[in-house]
Amino acid sequence: MAELATCTAETIARRIRLQGHVQGVGFRPFVYRLALRHGISGHVQNQLGEVEVVAAGAANAVDRFINDLIDTAPPLSSPALSSVVDTEIPAVVSFSIIDSLAEADAQVFVPPDYFMCDDCRRELQDPSDRRYAYPFINCTQCGPRYTLIEALPYDRPNTSMSAFPLCAECEAEYLDPTDRRFHAEPVACASCGPSLVYEEAGREAVADNDAALAAAVTAIRAGKVVAVKGIGGYHLVCDACDEQAVATLRERKRRPHKPLAVMFPVAGDDGLDHARRFVDFTPDEASVVASPIRPIVLARHRTDSALASNVAPGLAEIGVFLPYSPLHQLLLDAVGAPIVATSGNISGEPVLTKNDEALRRLAPIADSFLQHNRPIVRPADDPVFRRIAGTPRPLRIGRGCAPLELEIPWQQSEPLLAVGGHMKGTIALSWQNRVVVSPHIGEMDSPRSLDVFEQVADDLQSLYGVRAKRIVCDAHPGYTTHRWASRQGMPVEEVWHHEAHASAVGAEFATSGEWLIFAWDGVGLGRDGTLWGGEALLGRPGTWRRFASLRSFRLPGGDKAGREPWRSAAALYWECGERWNASPDIDGLARAAWKNDVNCPVSSAAGRLFDAAAAIICELPIASFEAQGPMMLEALNARPGQAIPLPLEEDSEGVLRTDWQPLLGMLSDDSRAPEERAGIFHASMAGAILAQARSARERVGITQVGLSGGVFQNRVLAEQVIALLNDEGFTVRLPLALPCNDAALSYGQAAEIAAREAQE
Amino acid sequence: MDDERISLAHGNGGRFMRELIEDVFAKALSESELDVQADAVQIDLGDGEVMITTDGFTVQPLEFPGGNIGSLAIHGTTNDLAVAGAKPMFMTLNAFIEEGFEVEQLQRIVTSLAEAAVEAGVRISAGDTKVVRRGEGGGIYLATTGVGVRLPGVKPSMDKIQDGDILLVSGPIGDHGTAVMLAREEFGLRGDLVSDAGPVMSLTEPLLALDGLRFMRDPTRGGIASIGHEILRATGLGVRFEATVPVREPVQSVCDMLGYDPYYLACEGRVVAIVAPDQADAALDLWRNLSAGKDAARIGRITAAEQRIILETPLGGERFLEELEDDPLPRIC
Repeated sequence: MAELATCTAETIARRIRLQGHVQGVGFRPFVYRLALRHGISGHVQNQLGEVEVVAAGAANAVDRFINDLIDTAPPLSSPALSSVVDTEIPAVVSFSIIDSLAEADAQVFVPPDYFMCDDCRRELQDPSDRRYAYPFINCTQCGPRYTLIEALPYDRPNTSMSAFPLCAECEAEYLDPTDRRFHAEPVACASCGPSLVYEEAGREAVADNDAALAAAVTAIRAGKVVAVKGIGGYHLVCDACDEQAVATLRERKRRPHKPLAVMFPVAGDDGLDHARRFVDFTPDEASVVASPIRPIVLARHRTDSALASNVAPGLAEIGVFLPYSPLHQLLLDAVGAPIVATSGNISGEPVLTKNDEALRRLAPIADSFLQHNRPIVRPADDPVFRRIAGTPRPLRIGRGCAPLELEIPWQQSEPLLAVGGHMKGTIALSWQNRVVVSPHIGEMDSPRSLDVFEQVADDLQSLYGVRAKRIVCDAHPGYTTHRWASRQGMPVEEVWHHEAHASAVGAEFATSGEWLIFAWDGVGLGRDGTLWGGEALLGRPGTWRRFASLRSFRLPGGDKAGREPWRSAAALYWECGERWNASPDIDGLARAAWKNDVNCPVSSAAGRLFDAAAAIICELPIASFEAQGPMMLEALNARPGQAIPLPLEEDSEGVLRTDWQPLLGMLSDDSRAPEERAGIFHASMAGAILAQARSARERVGITQVGLSGGVFQNRVLAEQVIALLNDEGFTVRLPLALPCNDAALSYGQAAEIAAREAQE
Repeated sequence: MDDERISLAHGNGGRFMRELIEDVFAKALSESELDVQADAVQIDLGDGEVMITTDGFTVQPLEFPGGNIGSLAIHGTTNDLAVAGAKPMFMTLNAFIEEGFEVEQLQRIVTSLAEAAVEAGVRISAGDTKVVRRGEGGGIYLATTGVGVRLPGVKPSMDKIQDGDILLVSGPIGDHGTAVMLAREEFGLRGDLVSDAGPVMSLTEPLLALDGLRFMRDPTRGGIASIGHEILRATGLGVRFEATVPVREPVQSVCDMLGYDPYYLACEGRVVAIVAPDQADAALDLWRNLSAGKDAARIGRITAAEQRIILETPLGGERFLEELEDDPLPRIC
């Protein structure tokens, strides 16, 4: 009887507005199917970022429909009701999807690139399906987005698929609101969509999809290095169990030691059974590896692993990921074994995306190329996560999680573009209380980095329909991004490096009250013109003051010290009037220059202290990649050691300084095992942070501590610091949404400016 | 003159000053037939377009492996004329000497200056000396003005530079900057590091015969990177330096140790020439047949597509050579 009653109930109509992630995620077809199920008439329409639904029907059917709009939304969407109002009952008793409205300003969300969904994977593996083994299968729930959208609204003509006219079958799916490919903008099949081609010097190109894939598989199995074009760029791929193949890749890429990521075939319920033969996952790590982002996750390498020993020499972890696209799924299924899949780029540059450029620039590295003809509009490198203090946290944001949508607890007076730092570059566009952070771009020394940077800066503004009225950059005048900012003819505001780090934490956790933020990294320019990097900043976004730091020392050779840990080590000894016998400065030239203060800038960087310790303990005079020393040091440290107390004294400026000098004797004490020394060093640095935090609590009553800067990617340090501080009642925050390294600077810059304005 | 050190009296216009000029300057510069009595002299430049340039010299230390401030005062000015396509002929010389300066060192410097003038084929036709109070000068400062006539052939000029042109250098870079820096900081002598200071006339003159020659410059302060930025500013064209820029091993190793970039270090005896692509090989051949140019190399190209100064690295990478700053601060985190 109740049901009958509802049928006879009064008919009502509501106009519903939804915001949030509602475009490029199959939301409109979902609304359509939901309307059919609830017997609702009306329409749904994309309105540049917003979705408008008009729903007419029995009152409680409309109510249930509205509830289900939120509760049963597609997994990739996250709709939020922004308004529900009464409206006129439409004349037509049916439900329709009407064309996107491309005007009005709105809350646009640009979707990231998604992994292949389960439905598509089933079709991919079903020999009776017309997309069986088709490497570019996708639907409204998966496939490329950010790397393929040229303009919004997100419709096929505005994507890099516009060059592929739909065949009749695909078009029928695309137009059928009940089909799961209804308005799947990149929809394609073997007869109308992108295709593979295998190219090898001195051999005719292999153009058939299956044959091209088979040729690549044969090459990988034969120990060759293959460049594979993926979603957001190229990978350089080889057999991860073939020591010689890995050695060849390393030699050609001039990357002797930097760990290489490994992609595993999908197997078992959660897809990780194959990988588990080589690495151990915590439940958290397993769920992140298998999440729709499909990031690289650093996980513990098993001692019985059959991976080539040169994949990640000297480290206890391997960067693991699963196939994130149908092409990779097919490739890994066919190879049946893990492959090294490292970014196809020239060291430090953004990953390559264009077929001809990749052919030219990767030719010295790759034996052959597995190419496709779907253009990549802009690069998105693989994201990287690592579990620190019990939670997987990003070390790099990229494909699948970028552009990253964040908020700040203040309002921007005018839209701004925050251009980040110099290493691990990202850009942030910020307006109102929103901050959209670009994927990882790269080190900003190279022309290609700046080209991509300029493209992304421009694209973010056009995709979101927001034009920046001002630019925020790091205060370092030599950064490529700082120079770029000053050339744009727009108002430029500067934010000090470590204050941006601090504000990134302050804005992410958005609590009230004062913070003590430890900003520990390599070097960044500080307010006194020296190179900071071991700072404890007190205050809140918009007002920071330097509360504590480390005893400063002069870095012989300036920038060279960033890649040559021996310089930091030698400088510590020289600073204390001692010699360091292991110094490679055989003829004393570096020491003479240090004595005369020739190119020896003053620094208080914790990152350089870790370098020094690694140079001494791990006997690593020269690093072949950033943070090699600290990573080796961390890998050594199986159990925490006994901290050496370090003196903490106020300097003439009123800044507390931790003196590292008592560590020197221990660091070079050969009678102790390297593991022991590494343990004592980590414990002592954690102890130094505790001492500074205690002092801040005594003096100003601080209880809220933030950790920021690349040094806290070091799990051993971060976890000890957090445990020590928690034990004493401090609340400790380590970034979750963004990496704690310089990738967070753009967000921190945007937050700092908004906070300053809010205080005015 | 009998004094061992310069006093203020050597600048007062009296006997001391006359003795200084006659015994030190005029004697050393006998080849120039310097008329120390005349207020002004006539110089015969013959026909042709007259070119003039001037330069000041404050190098520290005053003497360094491969030269001193005296020889540098000749090379700096005559080389500026040479790269502009002129034949240096006459010079003037001003010396600002600090009270207390050793006469013996002054004699060494002036002798070296005189020898360099002979080598460069110029005459010192006029000069002046001043003595400044102790503490007001770095021992000695020199200023020279050079006059010459334009040689027949191409008139090299920056506005001739075109997209695709090739950059050549007459020899390895950075020797002068490195040698002077090591000497200044008293880092101890390194026999393998000697300034490249020297005359470049023998290098510039033959290139004037190539109609594809666009422009020449000697990479002094700021090194070849700064030449790139000068071209960019003047023409709007970018420069790509290739991985072939010659740097001698001892120079590179000192740069590596001290964290310097040889592309920014000064040379005092090298020429960078910009030549049409079809004559780049011919220009290189001309240079390589000369002793001063035996290590000449192609080092880059002009590119209209990129308004930047880029260095291509041997590993296939590329990086910006940014405009030189006072004191470049490290950027690596």
